[in-house]
Amino acid sequence: MKTKIIIIAMTICLMPLSYAFPQDNKTIEGEIGVTGVWFDLHGKEGGKAKFTEYRDLREDGAVFGRARLNLDTDKYFLNFNVGDFAYDTQYYTVDGGLWGKFKFDLFYDEIPHNITFDARTPFVGAGHDLLTGTPNPNFPLWNTFDHSILRHQYGGGFKVDAIRPFFLDVSFERENRDGIKPTGAAETSPGGRAFELPEPVEYVTNNLKVSAGYSKKPLFLSLNYIHSDFNNSNSGLFLPSNFNAPNAFSLPPDNTYDKGAFKGAVSLPFNSRFSTNVGFARGRSETSIVDLVGSGYTGKVDNVNYDFTLTSNPVRFLDAKAYYKYYKRFNKSDDPTGVADIFLNYKITTYGAELGVRFPLDFYLSGGYKYVKTERNKRGESDPLEILPFNMDNILFVDLKWSGVDFLEARVGYENFDRDAHYRTADSFANPAKRFSYAAQNRDTVKAALDIFPLENLNLGFEYRYKNTDYSDTVFGLRRDKRHEFDVSADYRIGKIAKVYGYGDYGWIRFNQAQTGGAPPLPWDGDQWDKTWGYGIGAEVYVIPKKLTLIFQHDYVKSNGSVDFALNNGLFVAASGLGPGSGANNDNIDISRWDDYTLYSLSIKAVYNFTKSLAAMIGYAYERFSYSDAQLNNYLFAPAGPPNSNAAFLTGAYKDQTYRANVVFGGVTYKF
Amino acid sequence: MKRRILVFLSILFFVFSLVLIAQNKVEGESGFVGSEACKDCHEGQYNKFVKSVHGKKAVPGNPANRDGCESCHGPGAQHVEKGGGRGVAIFLFSKKETSTARDSKCLTCHQDMRGVENWNLSKHKSFLVACDNCHSIHSPVPGKSYLKAREPDLCFGCHRNIRALFNKQSHHPIKEEFVGRQALKCSSCHNPMGTFDIKAMIKADSVNDLCYRCHAEKRGPYAFEHPPVPENCLYCHEVHGSNHSRLLTRKVPLLCQSCHNSTGHPSRPYTNLHSFVGTATQNKNRFFARGCLNCHGNIHGSSLVPTFQR
Repeated sequence: MKTKIIIIAMTICLMPLSYAFPQDNKTIEGEIGVTGVWFDLHGKEGGKAKFTEYRDLREDGAVFGRARLNLDTDKYFLNFNVGDFAYDTQYYTVDGGLWGKFKFDLFYDEIPHNITFDARTPFVGAGHDLLTGTPNPNFPLWNTFDHSILRHQYGGGFKVDAIRPFFLDVSFERENRDGIKPTGAAETSPGGRAFELPEPVEYVTNNLKVSAGYSKKPLFLSLNYIHSDFNNSNSGLFLPSNFNAPNAFSLPPDNTYDKGAFKGAVSLPFNSRFSTNVGFARGRSETSIVDLVGSGYTGKVDNVNYDFTLTSNPVRFLDAKAYYKYYKRFNKSDDPTGVADIFLNYKITTYGAELGVRFPLDFYLSGGYKYVKTERNKRGESDPLEILPFNMDNILFVDLKWSGVDFLEARVGYENFDRDAHYRTADSFANPAKRFSYAAQNRDTVKAALDIFPLENLNLGFEYRYKNTDYSDTVFGLRRDKRHEFDVSADYRIGKIAKVYGYGDYGWIRFNQAQTGGAPPLPWDGDQWDKTWGYGIGAEVYVIPKKLTLIFQHDYVKSNGSVDFALNNGLFVAASGLGPGSGANNDNIDISRWDDYTLYSLSIKAVYNFTKSLAAMIGYAYERFSYSDAQLNNYLFAPAGPPNSNAAFLTGAYKDQTYRANVVFGGVTYKF
Repeated sequence: MKRRILVFLSILFFVFSLVLIAQNKVEGESGFVGSEACKDCHEGQYNKFVKSVHGKKAVPGNPANRDGCESCHGPGAQHVEKGGGRGVAIFLFSKKETSTARDSKCLTCHQDMRGVENWNLSKHKSFLVACDNCHSIHSPVPGKSYLKAREPDLCFGCHRNIRALFNKQSHHPIKEEFVGRQALKCSSCHNPMGTFDIKAMIKADSVNDLCYRCHAEKRGPYAFEHPPVPENCLYCHEVHGSNHSRLLTRKVPLLCQSCHNSTGHPSRPYTNLHSFVGTATQNKNRFFARGCLNCHGNIHGSSLVPTFQR
């Protein structure tokens, strides 16, 4: 609140400055508006949160005010923009400056992220760093809280133009984040009961950026500095005594990040340009919760980055680019008890070249080659099975574009991504289980797009993408990722009467992964399908030109996911939970509800301009979100099971996300 | 051999120089009529130009300090003499001109401007996208960048597949209508004017450096790192939008099992029968609700245990 007061007070102080300068060609314009929203929402706790995921509409109705003021002269300008006063989406911005001399801006804004309202926990202390109490399965008596986070961001900056060709940009922002989000911990490990917990979020992040340099052809030089510090009010979430040691859940540690970089570019003969970016960054973290050897843990990671790029357009029909990049992460953190075994170091070396050639008849052919080598290791590597491989990626691509006629533009493209994984020990090479992020793969991508403009007021667009990734050396793990995507769009303006537009999307994804499980290990595999299709149509009808406009919009998205399992018969045993008592067989284990949802929205709005200054708007919107998922359907807060094996205590995060809402809104706007 | 190479390079240099001289021949200084003459027929555009930043004489090198409308559209004398008409003896920012020709008009002044220094690296430039494909001086939407449409609609005009991703149920808040000031825009993460990340044009040296700007709590470094996390957030997250909560590329537990697949409980199948009301007799807490995350809540890193359960 104090920040808002400061911003408003500064604005009021800045306004009289406008009279300190000559009054030539002074323009003052602005707008004041108020919008009322009334809605009828049907949904449970998760649905209410989903409806308001990024908005503040928790009451039956809301009244949002906004104001804008723009002052502009030949010498200076000042803009003031505020809205959603007193709501969790409120924003206040001021920017201004002297044309050609300097610019400044100040801002404050908020945005919520609502996940689930009225979540539950058997413990006392949700939102704080200490949970107490003894868990019992009588969930109606549990304490309630909201899984919800609110971000407040504020800051400002200035840019000095008066010293051209030199420049100086400085900006600072602070973010306060407060709320609760879901996390989880096993009561004992391994195999204990699962406890979903309310994780307190009380973060403050400060970011400072300074950039100074020189920019006048043929030279661009800049020095950049970034400082960021993150502070968490809670080092840990301290757990009740029923949890095994350590009796706390660690929360993100305080950290700082400092980066210095030099960026430069110089123009060369033959319309060429050499650009470089050289940077060094150091991240540090500190937490008091960990006491591995009687002293706190201090993390330290260095990042080094070099970029060198040469581009050239020696003649009109030729574009060329060659580049080299080196990026290194080196973890220098304390190693008090051998934890360094999982400190990740890596370096990535990239180089490549691209060439684009304009051919007669408006054909443009471009293509290139890129090589990426990733070398990674964990400091103090000990387990030969867990030694991470190096990757060598060879990427070849080609694109053809044709714009030979005014009413059409066509593009086709192909890319081949070939990744080789170099396992550095015989054990890791021989291991049939490969991790998809490092495994060898071969990926083909085909793209085709067509934009047609048969009339000056009609645009049509079609696009298709095919992507197929084969993890060729993987026996167990992700083996294939195959996708098709179709997208179309159209817009048409009917003179001064109306504008209509629409789009359609279809996406099809299939993941295939194979596993081995059980004792002795037996194979199984799963095909995960993700099918999504959606469309939208909209229209703006100028019923009475410049007086009455009707705006209509309808969007629809449907997702259908599923998983087909194929299990070796030996896996239908008690250890998998699929023993004879479960009645399981290969015909009844497939998942048919896998993040299935339908999102339907419809809105119609009428805007009437009484005068050039005064306008009124009224509208109606309907939103429906139907959600069904095998993991969340028939939700139980305290599902029963054999003691200490499969029982859990859950908070209800992401449960019951289905909702349906009727929204009526209206407002007036006065412009001056 | 060296001599032959030297001769060849000299000839190449000579030919290119001739080409460059031919390309850069300077237009005659005459033929300018002044912006007032343009105003006679194009009053609407003229008024918008005067009110725009291009019309501010206080900004050094601005069209207002040079040849006004003709700074961008070229000398207008012949256009006037011929009685006007769309594109008649005047430079128009239309598809009839090449993207390079249109860009060069803007870069005449903007080549020294902050933010444009990496235009030569931009994927947009490589794909022949010109400045006026996204910017409009005469009819922009409100904002400082003189864009033709507001973000993300402008970007979605070409990047249709990204629009489809943002329509999915889990997405970053870039298109939320009820949010007064857009919390995020495409340009929060990408610089369409070009960066050293030549393909995706992200505003950082690596994907993780970019994500940590808003998600500083994930930055660590943690005492116990989950190796894929500090390497690339995109191994597990589809940042533009996903059908799966928390922008996950695939749903847990199958996402986790893509790597953890050969030993212990992560290797076992978790099926429809492991749901809340399923008939499976064990291990259900590894499937229902948030799956693996029910126990391994600190999956981005932990200060206490390597299993991310504390």
